[in-house]
Amino acid sequence: MFALLTQDPARTPGHIENPAPPLAVDTYGQLPKLASTFDHVDGLFYFTYIVCIFFFVVIVGVIAVSVVLYRRKTWDQPALSNVTHNTPLEVVWTVIPLIIVMVMFAWGFKGSLDMTNVPEAASRNLYKATAKQWNWTFTYPNGQQSFGEVWVEVDKPVAFATESTDVLHAFYLPQMRVKRDVIPGRSQVVWFEPKEVGDYHLFCAEYCGNDHSKMYAQLHVVSAEEFAKKPWDKWDDSTPAAAAKSGESLYKQLCASCHSVNGIPGVGPSWKGLFTKNADGTFTGRQREVLVGGQKQTITVDDAYIIESIKTPMAKIVAEEPYNRGGMSAFDNIEDRKIAGLIQYMKSLAEAK
Amino acid sequence: MSHDGHHSVVIPAPGPEFVPHTVAHHFDTPVQEFQSAKLGFWLFLATEILLFGGLFAAYFYYHEVYPETFRLGGQQLDWKLGAINTTVLLLSSWTMAMGVRSAQTSQKQKTLMFCGLTVVGALAFMVIKFFEYKAKHEHGFVVFSELFAPYDQATGSLAWFKDYDGVMAGVPHGHLFFAIYLTMTAIHGLHVIIGAGLILWIMVGAAKGRFHNGYFLPVDLVGLYWHLVDLIWIFLFPLLYLVP
Amino acid sequence: MTTNVPVIDTHAHHAPEAGGTNYLNNRSGFWSWAGTLDHKRIGLMYLVGVSIAFLCGGLFALLVRLHLWEPKGMLFDNAQYNQIFTLHGAFMVFLFVIPAIPGSLGNMVLPLMLGAKDVALPRLNLLSFYLWLTGAVLATLAIVLGGFDTGWTFYTPYSLYTQQAVVTIGLAIFVLGFSSIFTGLNFIVTVHKLRAPGLTWFRMPLFVWALYATSLLQVLATPVLGITVLLVAFERLYHIGIFDPRLGGDPVLFEHFFWFYSHPAVYIMVLPAFGIISELVSVHSRKPLFGYKLIAFSSLAIAIISFLVWGHHMFTSGQSTYAMFAFSFLTFFVAIPTAIKEFSWVATIWKGSIALNSPMLYTLAFLIIFAIGGLTGVILGALNVDIHLHDTYFVVAHFHYVMMGSIALAFFAGLHHWWPKMFGVMYDEFLAKIACAIIFIGFNATFLPQFIMGSRGMPRRYATYVPDYAPYHAASTVGVIILTVGIGMMVFYLVASLFQGKKAMQNQWGGVTLDWLCPTPPPLENFDVPPKVVHEVYDYSTLDYQSMQTPVR
Repeated sequence: MFALLTQDPARTPGHIENPAPPLAVDTYGQLPKLASTFDHVDGLFYFTYIVCIFFFVVIVGVIAVSVVLYRRKTWDQPALSNVTHNTPLEVVWTVIPLIIVMVMFAWGFKGSLDMTNVPEAASRNLYKATAKQWNWTFTYPNGQQSFGEVWVEVDKPVAFATESTDVLHAFYLPQMRVKRDVIPGRSQVVWFEPKEVGDYHLFCAEYCGNDHSKMYAQLHVVSAEEFAKKPWDKWDDSTPAAAAKSGESLYKQLCASCHSVNGIPGVGPSWKGLFTKNADGTFTGRQREVLVGGQKQTITVDDAYIIESIKTPMAKIVAEEPYNRGGMSAFDNIEDRKIAGLIQYMKSLAEAK
Repeated sequence: MSHDGHHSVVIPAPGPEFVPHTVAHHFDTPVQEFQSAKLGFWLFLATEILLFGGLFAAYFYYHEVYPETFRLGGQQLDWKLGAINTTVLLLSSWTMAMGVRSAQTSQKQKTLMFCGLTVVGALAFMVIKFFEYKAKHEHGFVVFSELFAPYDQATGSLAWFKDYDGVMAGVPHGHLFFAIYLTMTAIHGLHVIIGAGLILWIMVGAAKGRFHNGYFLPVDLVGLYWHLVDLIWIFLFPLLYLVP
Repeated sequence: MTTNVPVIDTHAHHAPEAGGTNYLNNRSGFWSWAGTLDHKRIGLMYLVGVSIAFLCGGLFALLVRLHLWEPKGMLFDNAQYNQIFTLHGAFMVFLFVIPAIPGSLGNMVLPLMLGAKDVALPRLNLLSFYLWLTGAVLATLAIVLGGFDTGWTFYTPYSLYTQQAVVTIGLAIFVLGFSSIFTGLNFIVTVHKLRAPGLTWFRMPLFVWALYATSLLQVLATPVLGITVLLVAFERLYHIGIFDPRLGGDPVLFEHFFWFYSHPAVYIMVLPAFGIISELVSVHSRKPLFGYKLIAFSSLAIAIISFLVWGHHMFTSGQSTYAMFAFSFLTFFVAIPTAIKEFSWVATIWKGSIALNSPMLYTLAFLIIFAIGGLTGVILGALNVDIHLHDTYFVVAHFHYVMMGSIALAFFAGLHHWWPKMFGVMYDEFLAKIACAIIFIGFNATFLPQFIMGSRGMPRRYATYVPDYAPYHAASTVGVIILTVGIGMMVFYLVASLFQGKKAMQNQWGGVTLDWLCPTPPPLENFDVPPKVVHEVYDYSTLDYQSMQTPVR
């Protein structure tokens, strides 16, 4: 508890920065508006809902009527009836609910088969969703990548192979009615067919540690024409300034949950002051104490060190508490030019001073 | 405990070297006391079996997932030492049964002798186990000195599993067999030690003459416990040493 | 139609015993409590313990809800929030909901209902209590040692990697598990061996049946939890690899182990609540319980089926189609005995003589809230719908309707019902009725909005959330403040009654089970004369009205 109260509230930045627009709600206000083909979920939900309301009204009604009619008027008033059972009634209220729940079971099971059996068309449009604490990386069928947001084509079945590099997560798209636990060591495929163009929430639904609630991504469902423009492939590194800007957007999607740029300590060390700018426009990296296989060394930050720290973070760990235990998982699948953009962004931080 | 105004039932001692037993105040008869304790103890034994059941479930699950690891791992265990230990435990179960029988027939010296032999059996079991563990330590299957060393995330290698001779190199996750072997046998070993302690406690009571043909409940219960410890080993031995 | 009339002289239990001693005042001093083997004193110590645990858990809940007033969170950073919600869950589940009813009311009432002098194994009973206390101390120690942020479910591998006091809390749960096992074992033996002459199985009050079914679950399910938390501790201490995917282990195996215990544990928690409600609807309607045998058997049916449905907590983990089929089918199946109970209670009230006193108001509140909790469980049983609702606030609201709304309300109902029996004093009935109404309103205000935001997709265990859900979170937070006021009031008038409550009656509510036929408060060995049961259960035709107007001595 003491540790609880003394932690710096600024330690973890906290919340989702730029969520998708508020989700639309269906006619009855209970479910988010369906944007996929899994309408059996809504059908069974409302069927069960109505059955529940019916039974609830009956139960509360009988209780209310009893309380009004049979309320004890004098303290020694006996009950009106001493009946202890009524076999036909008991059979009725056993059998009828049994029939109803068996209908629900069959309906639900049939629906779940639809959700778990990936159709051929979807498996030909296979994405990969890689979860790690606390962000999402998406790999498109053509091998390209995007971080924290993903584009799919409307009216075209799509499948996601979900993988985790650390702990349990869950891939949850409320408006698509899709959810699947993401389990380290297993690759599991989910599918859906988006029916409406729009931007949708993608939540992590399985508790995964500190920034579980920040592990958010957006699903963009776009038309075929829009999709053909590859909106995820916007990487501009024509000039150093453009590369730094691209790097900044990647930083926000991928790195900001652990590394600040303003010196506030996070899960990982801040990027502030990694480089200083010289008068001639070149950059000098700072001196840094690191652990290599447990041995302390002093190194100078340079491009090679940063590339190494992204691809194999455990090779050189920052020696300072509390970072000296390591813990960052390897981001070994980022394209080199994107890492170059990130480095350009780090250097641009020096310029800002 | 007995309270003023309530007279508990007293079971007389069969001879001068024994002490009488007072039935607990909330029981009406000695039979009720005996049956209650017996039923309760059987339920406790059921929970023990379920506790080990979890470990057996883990064993069977990983045996399915990594059959090669378990086959090769099992070959590294010394089935001869295991067989000797099985014999030792079976013999000690017999001496324990004889100890219970002696208590039931008010034979104080024999009770002490058979219980003492059972403790000797327990000690022998643990000594043999020690040598078995020592061999595992020397081959690097379970490096006890490194058991609690932190896991090295960078290299992904376990401090306690070194496998000096490289016999497990060809199979996936060789440490899993030894982890399960160590966990199961260590928890079982702990039960052996607890059992030996309980039998020593019974011997103290027996020396004072507390157990005789009118009252032998604790001897009976500890006997049951010892048979359970034996029974669990009867399952552990073939699963770990022979099945692979 | 006859009743449980023990063959005891009515004179004997109305006339003051020599010196007017009862279990509360026959001995005094610290050791007369700390070393007591009397089931009633042990029950009281449990009552104090679980109440403190409940208030701590409630405080954590209040903090959680206050934090969630704003989408960005009000009070904590994410790491602190994760600890607070974990503490809320762990304290409520392991220290309150599981032990509360069997430990306190069960210990107090079970031997009385059986006409026994004590539970069969009083020393073991005291050991159970001290194990509970040890668990509570360890859990508190874990907070001091850095806390734990794994959620009460301890899902691997996160629980293996987090840099916190997981081993300590694991040890606490192991110890608490054995406390629970020993209580269950004790009750089973007591029911089998210490029933009064003439008290056949089908003359036992339904609270006894419920505790018996609970005890079977405690004995048969808890050891698996014990070994599971032990394995998690070993994983952390020497990396055995069973649950660690880095070492070839399978985190899903942990989920199976965990829910193999924790689903039956839901019924360990709820069956005693069913038992209390069965007693109370009968006594306060002064009418035999409708469908007695069906209720008794449904308790056992629930106990058995509950071992076979654990997989419904893992519908989104990618189980095989066959497993999904079986677990969903059996989950729907378990709804039937539960529905039978609810219908039977309502039928018992019908044409009864309904006393609207505070225990009955809590009971009626239970019947309404449990109807919602149970019915929303049916919604979650459907496979395709559960995939959408799993791990959202819909699930949170559902299990709070069952755990908090139903189990805690049944506990409160039982507490109000047996309070005059335990202490010989009555609390302020007027305040009690007001508090019950406030708790009912506050509870529904807290959790009804959670159903809506849950079905709209709000995931659980979120320290912050997208603004879409803000109005529902705000409503829920207002609800919890109302609920806190109600519970504060209840604590106040119950404690106040101990100091200035007016004397209760020998048989305050007109019960006809043996617990109301022994002196109030009971003497050390419960009955002045060993009772003998010659009549059927719950027959109010021979209710001794005089005992309802005779003050305690």
